[in-house]
Amino acid sequence: MPGAIILAGQEVGSNMDELTREFLIESQEGLDRMERCLTDLEVRPQDTALIAEIFRSVHTIKGTTGFLGFKRLEKLAHSGENLLGLLREEKLIADGPTITGLLQLLDGLRLILKTIESDQNEGTDDDAVLIARIEELQLPAKPKQPAHAKVAEPQTPAATLAFAPPPPPPVLVQAASELAAPVEEAPAAPIATQASAAAMASAEAEFDGSKPRPQVTAAAESTLRVDVTLLNRMMNLVGELVLTRNQVLQATANDPNLTMLSRRLDMVTADLRESVMKARMQPVSNIFSKIPRIVRDLSQSLNRRVRLQVEGQDTELDKSLLEAIKDPLTHAVRNSLDHGIETPEIRIAAGKDPEGTLKLRASQEGSHVVIEISDDGAGISPDKVRSKAIEKGLITADRAAHLSERELQQLIFLPGFSTAAAVTNVSGRGVGMDVVRTNVEKIGGKVELDSRPGKGTTLRMRIPLTLAIIPALIVRSVNQSFALPQGALSELVHVPPSQAATVIEWIEDAPLYRLRGKLLPLVFLDRLLVPDGDHKAATEKDNFIAVLDADGRRFGLVVDGLADPEEIVVKPLSAVLKDIGLYSGATVLGNADLALILDPGSIAQKAGVNLNAEQLAVETGVEVDAAKGLEYLLVEAAGRQAAVPLGDVLRIEQLKVSRIEYIGYRPVLNFEGQLLPVEDSGGVLAAVQDNPDAQIIVVVCREGNRHVGIAVTHVLDVAAGGDLFEAGTTARTGGVTLLKNRVTGVVDLVGVPPLPPGAAVHNDWNQIPETVA
Amino acid sequence: MSTAIAGLHRKEKVAAALVEMCSVRLGSSLFGVPISHILEIVGGARPQPVPLAPKFVGGLVHYRGDVLTTVSLRYLLGMPIKEGAQDILVLESSSGCFGLLVDSVGEVLTVSSADHEPNPSILDERRRALFAGAYKLKDSLLVMLDPERLDPMRLGVAEMAAA
Repeated sequence: MPGAIILAGQEVGSNMDELTREFLIESQEGLDRMERCLTDLEVRPQDTALIAEIFRSVHTIKGTTGFLGFKRLEKLAHSGENLLGLLREEKLIADGPTITGLLQLLDGLRLILKTIESDQNEGTDDDAVLIARIEELQLPAKPKQPAHAKVAEPQTPAATLAFAPPPPPPVLVQAASELAAPVEEAPAAPIATQASAAAMASAEAEFDGSKPRPQVTAAAESTLRVDVTLLNRMMNLVGELVLTRNQVLQATANDPNLTMLSRRLDMVTADLRESVMKARMQPVSNIFSKIPRIVRDLSQSLNRRVRLQVEGQDTELDKSLLEAIKDPLTHAVRNSLDHGIETPEIRIAAGKDPEGTLKLRASQEGSHVVIEISDDGAGISPDKVRSKAIEKGLITADRAAHLSERELQQLIFLPGFSTAAAVTNVSGRGVGMDVVRTNVEKIGGKVELDSRPGKGTTLRMRIPLTLAIIPALIVRSVNQSFALPQGALSELVHVPPSQAATVIEWIEDAPLYRLRGKLLPLVFLDRLLVPDGDHKAATEKDNFIAVLDADGRRFGLVVDGLADPEEIVVKPLSAVLKDIGLYSGATVLGNADLALILDPGSIAQKAGVNLNAEQLAVETGVEVDAAKGLEYLLVEAAGRQAAVPLGDVLRIEQLKVSRIEYIGYRPVLNFEGQLLPVEDSGGVLAAVQDNPDAQIIVVVCREGNRHVGIAVTHVLDVAAGGDLFEAGTTARTGGVTLLKNRVTGVVDLVGVPPLPPGAAVHNDWNQIPETVA
Repeated sequence: MSTAIAGLHRKEKVAAALVEMCSVRLGSSLFGVPISHILEIVGGARPQPVPLAPKFVGGLVHYRGDVLTTVSLRYLLGMPIKEGAQDILVLESSSGCFGLLVDSVGEVLTVSSADHEPNPSILDERRRALFAGAYKLKDSLLVMLDPERLDPMRLGVAEMAAA
């Protein structure tokens, strides 16, 4: 159970004695726990277990400060303890003001802990006001009313946070049961626990409801604190081991004696890597747990009624990534409350439940964790966005008139965009969604927005599971290998020297490529890296255009060659090299070569590729077409045009005609170990039959559960097709579509006959509908 | 760097004024790096060049799971850059580890601080900034290199100031 290891050491300075450091970590955890319990308590003011938990946190702090000599902290904790004592004895009821007071106490305690951490002393500020306020709350004069008796009915099992029983404190949750055996056998690990155990024990001695006591001991014995730097170092060494393993595997591939050994090494390395990665993982509940407080405070100050639902709290993510998404997440939640969920009056007028719902959902999808923040608020109004964007000069009125609703909503990601009518202290300072997007993209993630006016907004953040190992495409330029993170890569285009002169176009000295009708700015990597070098012209070499999306910029990076994609282990660069700004790190490739990792965002910036609304429209352009109708790949086979539904196209392969083999007279292609029937009604194969070196193009398509290939001479374009109606009827015609205002036949994939079982000769080799051009 | 030198001086007094130096020959001069600052000597390395890096950077090498920035001593001394395999001294400075690219590493010499003299005034400014004085050997001079002064961070700052 990886979450059991508490990663510490980052927040706490190193030059203080062990005891104080332990105390700070313990107390911070206690306060985090207290914060969670307080927000829960507001929902269930009668829950004595919650009050007991909060009491224990404060008491532990008070107890330990006594012998560490932090008088100011002790005094404040003491006043809080008094109030909590009354609550525990049920002389007071935990109403709204009391909880607000306790939250203020919590903030006060945190502030002092922070001061101790940074200055080694507790500061000299006076807490008299806060203490007076807490004492005031202890006066029994208050009418005893079950205030806020909004005991929410536990509706869905998904509503885990505000309504489920309080999660036991994280330190204690992961009991011995799930822990790996070696840790248990470790000669007791009370490094971290002496001070706290003493405090804990004293707290519980006088505290009768000591329910989690046995767990305390269990957790103390089976978990230990590990410094993050040690984990980083371990990760580093494992990365190194992976590289060494790759080399060993290559070197021993031909030696049968070593095969077993190297295979074992391979397995152990893979397991080790996984374990170390797991040790760095923490559940998202670590950051989700801050949200209830934010929601509570904001809904009070903004006069909203909000129900928070949290799902998938135990989804795990690398610690550093978790840190990185903390701010974007908070920002998104604020936005939802400020701009999304309406006030109860407006909601009632709109026929909605006066209480809005904010959902936080985390789940793992393959190598990504998806975090969804959705509300059932007002949604993003395209009209508001349009007028705001025009007012801010982010887009011209003319241009805005042509954007679809979806495109308009995407405008909120532009820097300097903020629609809050008034600048509130919640959000609306113009550093909004662009910061969310930038932060998430910085760690290799993606942000998606889905908003329906009147219905609500969903913001989806896709975060990679780990930063240390990323998939990358290895490219060659200036006789060196470079790694290009796959996250930014959207497609690759090969421009052979013979075509370079025609397809790469220039406006003055700015190279451009026409990618499906849109101009794509090009950046030649060799010219960028060695500005005064002697470079081959594009017409003298093969050019590979990697189409990249970075920070909302789209451009093509031209490299000299492509190698295989690899999972690379990211190594940091020294400050001198980081300052160059083009590289985000370096890595060691499988063949032991070093490769610099290119940073697409910085390259775009350095090459002057700008982010503007025009480009945003390019990005979303495809979606607009998709809305109108199906998209088709327009191909040419022996002089005639035909269309293939784009959704079915898997790959476009250029290959020598000699790779086409025949079963009987049916052409087939051995494609990645699979045999594909190749459809050749256009007669492409027949036309080049006598020349085994001739190049043909095979469009590999998906059809049901099988793949089929279609032989063509050229791939022309991608276009949206329009439906055609037969004159005099409303019946849609099948098999043809309107592409670029020409009636074009659609290749009938279903009609491609299956391959015969075995190599029997089949005779029913039929035709695709003929192109009606 | 002043602290490092001060540290060295202190150590010299305590340790009977004897210092062990790893000798490095480059062109006609003999240089020495105190072995207490050397983590490892890597032979026959081929650093990977870094386009657009400051000129004093000799490239990157792979060293124990990390990627190490190297400094080209030849460039710093204004000598023609050598192609092919070179030896690397892995040095530790206050801001981390880095590699020093040299032609070849020689034997370890034990020198006495009594034979140490500061940089001569006729040395040009560039070299004065890099050298930390010289030790008089029986038949030649051993120029002392101070890892702190060769640190890529420091060189980067110096280069920026010069530009």
